[in-house]
Formats: sequence, structure tokens, C-alpha cells
Amino acid sequence: MNDPLTRAWASLIGLSAISAVIAQLLPGFDALALKLASVAILLIGWAKARVILSTYLGLDAVPPIRRGFGVVLGFFMAAALALYLLA
Amino acid sequence: MTEERTSPAPAWASLPGELIMWVLIVSELAVFGAGLLIFLIIRLGDPEGFAASQDQLHRVSAAINTAVLVTSGWFAARAARDAEHGRTGPTRVNLGLAGLLGIVFLVLKGWEYADAAANGLGFEAHTFFTFYWLLTGFHAAHVIFGVGILALVAIRARADHVEAGAQFWHMVDLVWVILFPIIYLLR
Repeated sequence: MNDPLTRAWASLIGLSAISAVIAQLLPGFDALALKLASVAILLIGWAKARVILSTYLGLDAVPPIRRGFGVVLGFFMAAALALYLLA
Repeated sequence: MTEERTSPAPAWASLPGELIMWVLIVSELAVFGAGLLIFLIIRLGDPEGFAASQDQLHRVSAAINTAVLVTSGWFAARAARDAEHGRTGPTRVNLGLAGLLGIVFLVLKGWEYADAAANGLGFEAHTFFTFYWLLTGFHAAHVIFGVGILALVAIRARADHVEAGAQFWHMVDLVWVILFPIIYLLR
């Protein structure tokens, strides 16, 4: 699998499968495990967004812009995570 | 003798595709990002109600739609690469497959909406559903628009047009991978 687009697609499918499995297990979790699993799901979403930005949208070719997007996305995810954990 | 001094090109000059597409992408991400943060802020006041509402959604169909959309994005990215190399036939095939998967996404989404409506889970059923309909509906509107754009750029399959169409499609993809866990999965 040398094609970067195909590698990106495979990683997106793999990450989606992991979050789908975690989501199916959520109803059986206690409160702490539920929080941890939800945090993991958010982090997986963040990882998927980074793959799309870097490879599908081609920001790997422009590292300063990729870093800029990464910082803004990181702030958004941190805010989402904080709001989730506050509830 | 004059000395010519060349300043380095700004980073944005190296962005793939047209700058205006990036302005659009950033604007759309800001709108969806703000909507999702407001959703999470309002959730603070009624986490149990939001969780109970979320339990009535079809998580499996939404998870399938995630796979459908990221695969569609893969075809769109391949189309852009093929167009750049002047491969018109493969460009159109990849755009067609990307658009077809966009339609699959919409069919599944339509089924999900029909089921929610049939169960009385309309816009005013709960604040959760107000945001659910607003955010996923706005996203679905972008998918409809994106399928149209993919079809349009396939007609002439010009590299710059195909790249712009694929970028719009990736933006739709990007919004979904952030929206999906927040609306459907966070408990």
C-alpha cells in the first residue's frame, strides 16, 4: 500500500471501525469508562480530521499551513472535550 | 548595477488549488464548529435529556455513512490526481463513484430522517433534535450541493475544476468526521 491516498483511506476506515466498536460497547460501560470511551471517540475524530486535511486536502505539501490548521483544530477539539467533561 | 532582492513567497501561495476554495473551507468549518460548540454548551444544562434523545438516533447507519463518505473522499482525491495527469477517463470514473457514494449517504440519511419524523422526533421534540436537524440538515444540504459539483466538474474534467470540486467534497467529509462523534456518540 504505497499510495498515500490509499493509506489515508485505510487509516480513516480503520479509525472509523474502532470508534464504531467503542460506540457499540458504550451502553455496558460504567460512568468512568463511559467518559474515557467518549474521550477516545473524540480523539479518533480529531485524528480522522487531521488525515483528511493532510492527505485528501493536500496540506502535507504546505507544512506551515498544515500546522496552522492543526493548531486551530486542536483548540476546537480541546474546547469540545472540556465542554463534554464539564457536563 | 541594481540589486534584486526576492522575498520568499508566503505559505498560502503554495496552497493546493485556488485560495478562494480555502476561504470557503475555513468559513464552513467555522460555521459548523460554532454550531457544535453551542450544541455542547447547551448540553451542559441537560446532559441526561441529550443522552436520552441521542439514544433514539441510528448510530449504525451514521457509522456506515462515515465509511461511505471517507471512501467517497478517496475517489474524489483520486479523481483530482488523475485530472492533474490528464487521465480524463479515470477522472470521470472516480468522480462518478464519489458522487454515487454521496447519493448512498443521502439515501441512508433520508431513511434516518424519515424514521425520526415518523417517531415524532421533529425540530421541537427536544433541544437536542433542534441541533440535530439544523447541523445534520445543513451538512446534508452540502452533500447534495457537492454531488452536483462533482457531476458538473466531470463534464469537462479540467484539472483545476476537478481539484476545486474535490476540495469542496473533502470539506464536507471533514465536517462529518467531526460532527458525527459529537452528535451521535458522545455520552
